Amino acid sequence: MAGPPVQPSDPYLPTTAGEAAARGAAGLRGRPTPSEVIAGLRATSHGEDLIQLLSPEGTLTPNDDFPIEVTVDLLRGLYRDMVLVRRFDREGNALQRQGQLSIWVPLLGQEAAQIGAGRAMRPADMAFPSYREHGVAWCRGVDPTQLLGIFRGTDQCGWDPKATRFNSYTIVIGNQVLNATGYAMGQRFDGVIGSAPGSEDAVTSDEATIAFFGDGATSQGDVHEGMVFAAAFDAPIVFYCQNNQWAISEPVAKQSRVPLWERSTGYGFPGVRVDGNDVLACLAVTRWALEECRSGNGPVMIEAFTYRMDAHTTSDDPTRYRMAAEEEHWKLLDPIQRVKVHLSRQGLADQDFFEQVAGEADELAARFRAHCIGMPKPPPERIFANVYTEPHHQLEQQLAGHLEYLAGFAEQDGGR
Amino acid sequence: MAPITTTLAKALNTGLRSAMEDDPKVIVMGEDVGRLGGVFRVTDGLQKDFGDNRVLDTPLAESGIIGTAVGLAMRGYRPVTEIQFDGFVFPGFDQIISQVAKITYRTQGAWSMPMVIRIPFGGGIGAVEHHAESPESFFCHIGGLRVVACSNPQDAYDMLRAAIACEDPVVFFEPKRRYWEKGTLDPELNSAASGERPPRCFSSVLRRPGTDVTVVSYGPSMPVLMAAADAAAIEGRSLEIIDLRTLSPLDLDPVVESVRRTGRMVVVSEAPLESSITSNIAARVTEEAFYSLAAPVVRVAGFDTPYPPSRLEDEYLPDLDKVLDAVDRVMAW
Amino acid sequence: MTGTSTGTRLQVFSMPDVGEGLTEAEVLGWRVAVGDSVTVNQILVEIETAKAAVELPSPFAGRVHALLVEPGVTVEVGTPIISVDTDPGAGDLTDSAPAAASSETATAPATGSTDGEGSGTTTNGEGAKIGEVTADGRIATLVGYVSAGASTARRPRRGNGRPADVAAAAPQHSVVHPAPASAAVPADHAPLATPPVRKLAKDLGVDLAAVTATRQDGVISRADVENSVAAKGSTASPGRGRAYDPATREHRVPVKGIRKATAAAMVASAFSAPHVTEFLTVDVTPMMELRDRLRRRPEFADLKIGPLVFAARAVCLAARRTPEINSVYEVGPEPGADVIVVKQYVNLGIAAATPRGLVVPVIQDADRLDLAGLAAALRDLAATAREGHTSPAQMSGGTFTITNVGVFGVDTGTPIINPGEAAILALGSVKDAPWVVDGELAVRKVCQLSLSFDHRVVDGQQGSQFLADVGALLADPGLAIAF
Repeated sequence: MAGPPVQPSDPYLPTTAGEAAARGAAGLRGRPTPSEVIAGLRATSHGEDLIQLLSPEGTLTPNDDFPIEVTVDLLRGLYRDMVLVRRFDREGNALQRQGQLSIWVPLLGQEAAQIGAGRAMRPADMAFPSYREHGVAWCRGVDPTQLLGIFRGTDQCGWDPKATRFNSYTIVIGNQVLNATGYAMGQRFDGVIGSAPGSEDAVTSDEATIAFFGDGATSQGDVHEGMVFAAAFDAPIVFYCQNNQWAISEPVAKQSRVPLWERSTGYGFPGVRVDGNDVLACLAVTRWALEECRSGNGPVMIEAFTYRMDAHTTSDDPTRYRMAAEEEHWKLLDPIQRVKVHLSRQGLADQDFFEQVAGEADELAARFRAHCIGMPKPPPERIFANVYTEPHHQLEQQLAGHLEYLAGFAEQDGGR
Repeated sequence: MAPITTTLAKALNTGLRSAMEDDPKVIVMGEDVGRLGGVFRVTDGLQKDFGDNRVLDTPLAESGIIGTAVGLAMRGYRPVTEIQFDGFVFPGFDQIISQVAKITYRTQGAWSMPMVIRIPFGGGIGAVEHHAESPESFFCHIGGLRVVACSNPQDAYDMLRAAIACEDPVVFFEPKRRYWEKGTLDPELNSAASGERPPRCFSSVLRRPGTDVTVVSYGPSMPVLMAAADAAAIEGRSLEIIDLRTLSPLDLDPVVESVRRTGRMVVVSEAPLESSITSNIAARVTEEAFYSLAAPVVRVAGFDTPYPPSRLEDEYLPDLDKVLDAVDRVMAW
Repeated sequence: MTGTSTGTRLQVFSMPDVGEGLTEAEVLGWRVAVGDSVTVNQILVEIETAKAAVELPSPFAGRVHALLVEPGVTVEVGTPIISVDTDPGAGDLTDSAPAAASSETATAPATGSTDGEGSGTTTNGEGAKIGEVTADGRIATLVGYVSAGASTARRPRRGNGRPADVAAAAPQHSVVHPAPASAAVPADHAPLATPPVRKLAKDLGVDLAAVTATRQDGVISRADVENSVAAKGSTASPGRGRAYDPATREHRVPVKGIRKATAAAMVASAFSAPHVTEFLTVDVTPMMELRDRLRRRPEFADLKIGPLVFAARAVCLAARRTPEINSVYEVGPEPGADVIVVKQYVNLGIAAATPRGLVVPVIQDADRLDLAGLAAALRDLAATAREGHTSPAQMSGGTFTITNVGVFGVDTGTPIINPGEAAILALGSVKDAPWVVDGELAVRKVCQLSLSFDHRVVDGQQGSQFLADVGALLADPGLAIAF
């Protein structure tokens, strides 16, 4: 289909729908052409099939839309990532059952969706998680022990979000999607997207943002508004929805009549559904999506179709609302198992490798556990720390008053 | 620039323009702020001069405006958001309370939130529902935000520039029925103090000295207080008038010092009485100046009803007579 | 935090609260046996909670020493369920008690503040555990725990712990600014006082600005106000607060201070004591002649003696014969407990009109004073009252009152008894009037006495007798030698 002629950007002139879609991308350095964009919308909006490269049985089938060079190192690295992440996730669960954490948010089953996306990011890209993306944290260089404070109640974010380019966890469902959109708008205003293809800038300085949220979050107004703003401002943001089928006890059918990836079309940008348990597919598709954004073609939505193998949190009891048979079904689609099978069958890794990874996982778990058990309660001053960036006389007085009150107890540090 | 006579709205415009000229990271965003220049013309001319990358006409979504501003602030920008009317801030309330107020604390200073949320507030303009609210106490009731209210062109200019320069998020209340009132603006007047922290203009200020009663308010009620002081003088009563300017944190030292001299206090606001800033001030001043008080602190406030149809707003708003009646009551103890 | 203990070889794992509001759980089945080696996180046991089974992973590595709960038994959260020897290669265990399942050195999880769902919709069905209290007193919620609430014993404070010790007792969330430390209150500051003291000052007509505080911090006390009344007096004027409204042609005068006190006293007296008033007109010509003679005596040199002095003396003398007149009716705490208190001393109140209003200063033990003494007392009392300096002490304890309406040229009246007393005498003016002397008309000095008395205490006979005695003494002062 031949597209309409490109016109200079004027948001207030009447336009056709196609021209509007074209203008979004064409406004930036004139590439790609409108017809390419529209063709792209069609091409990447998959209907019946998920994008899948590695089947549950471990068979690798390339996909021309999402080419990816699959090396031994890449596969072994992804395997190791997922094993270690699962290991400390399980340790977190155990620690809660042993009374060391108030709560733990398990990612069991979603390792591929998170590692795939996390490893697709470049250092300069920015991630906005919800509160379950321990796998993405892992990829951004956040040590697992830094996640513990939130669940132990000693802090609300144990890492530097600015330095790691991994935002703090956001508990209010959907809030982070808007914040991510704003950050991506800032990337666009800064001009760090859309460099000439193949240029040094394109490789070194172009950036994108990726926002993580679940199937339940797609009902929240903030997610809708995030997509509205991202489309209005051509923000370089990947909306990465991990559809793990359940929002606590509510199945995804309660959240939407249509498959979630289709929603993006309503806002005027492409959506893709990927097998969320296939780490290679997640990696390939997310790389493509981030590249689209970096080159100025954003936003893009990805629905990673996966399953929440454990409860919503350690306070939840899934036996109340779902069938064990469903969990059994998804066990057969395990993300780590299929990579292990592929590595074995293709002769890309031997038993020594698997044992070495397992050993590394045990060490990580032990370190995670020891760190957790040793975490002290913060001092009272911590309540007042960093509420504001600038001096605040009222809080200073309040802290002083509280310390004076504490000093008035006969036994210092007693009774607490 | 020599002192000029200008309206409060234009003084805000001047402040925005100066701030944007001084710092390329300052951006303005909101509904109708660009091409239209804002429904009150506060952002008039800014998009034309600074472009639509710095003055953004946003989609109609308050949560979206605030939420994306948070992300922009993380990215290093200094967003000055506009909420079109006080009653429409509530879709954005979640982002303000859950994110804007908490992010610095949550990340222990890794992120700061140097953003401004400008809100026209207050009644007296004959408007329909949701256009005459006084929601300021909602924002004072959470740590992490600063809340201020200007009442005249000079303060509008100084306080907006200070809010933009502040590293903390500032909810900036503008008395909409005073937008067209004129006063003197000297942009150089307080420029030497611009580096002070906290900002010098985020403080209570004496507007008129007096000896009988301390009368305190902020924002749209200030001209009412000044007129009441003139009327009281004819009756032989001397009112001392204080403009709070900063609502969170409150600067009560000048107020307490005044009460130590007068022994009596009336505090005034358009906002509903219950759980209001005026109630908080009454409690704090009573605690800090108990021996000095010859009478309880009397509050003049709106009723605990939704804001009434505008034909009735004269009955609702604290006016000169209500203020003087409160003065009478506090003198009679 | 329940569950584990550290630091000794034999470790005990107690039933944890697994986040579903457990107060107790049933041990369904052990996955390990005594003597088994276990690794960290190896599943030890399955417990039943809220109709779902939860597997508990081992916090310890080692050898199972003892299973402390039988399958099928329900135990409370915090109950030890298994002990593990964490160093099985180190020889036999001595018979030491296992490490107590106490709190960790590490701290308990925070209360309820963590994460998770925004809108918790998980239900626990019947037998819901959310909201129940755990063994260590916490209340489970969907996303954490509510702490057990206030301990029942107060943590001891330093010093004497009195809340009046200002700074240490500051409310938790504010710093109290105490009253200024210096005694000198700046000149332009309003006086410092609490509301009750302000009220007292207002009632007494005292201007706080004129009162000197004895407290270091300049705060005026009740005693300061009372002393100020005695020492300096008030500057209140009856015109204060009077607002004239030309529209209604009315003054509206607030009832305050002495006016208010007087009004209250009158009402109390008039509507509790049944008043009877008797009248006696007396020819006091001999008294006036005696007065002229006494004036020239040295002991009366500086004293003014007039009818009031004589009346005061006469009342004291007559009260000896009719002591009931010098008493008071006291209503008891319950019906049937009323008493009449008859006093053996006369504290004579003299009603005085002052710039501040009606004041009744009292001459204590007036019956012990002779005429000169009474005259002196009256003089001092009048001077003080005129200046408005009569103290509350000087107005208290009266047993009988004389009101000298005669100074206004008034003949007589029906006075109201002063509360706390049983009778009051009104002394009229002394006037020339026609009188019968030895059967002939003559012009004599005549004055009228009127006695109001409380008929609960004083009967007509007593009142009449008293009045007659007073009259007789005034008519013929020489009779005093017979009293």
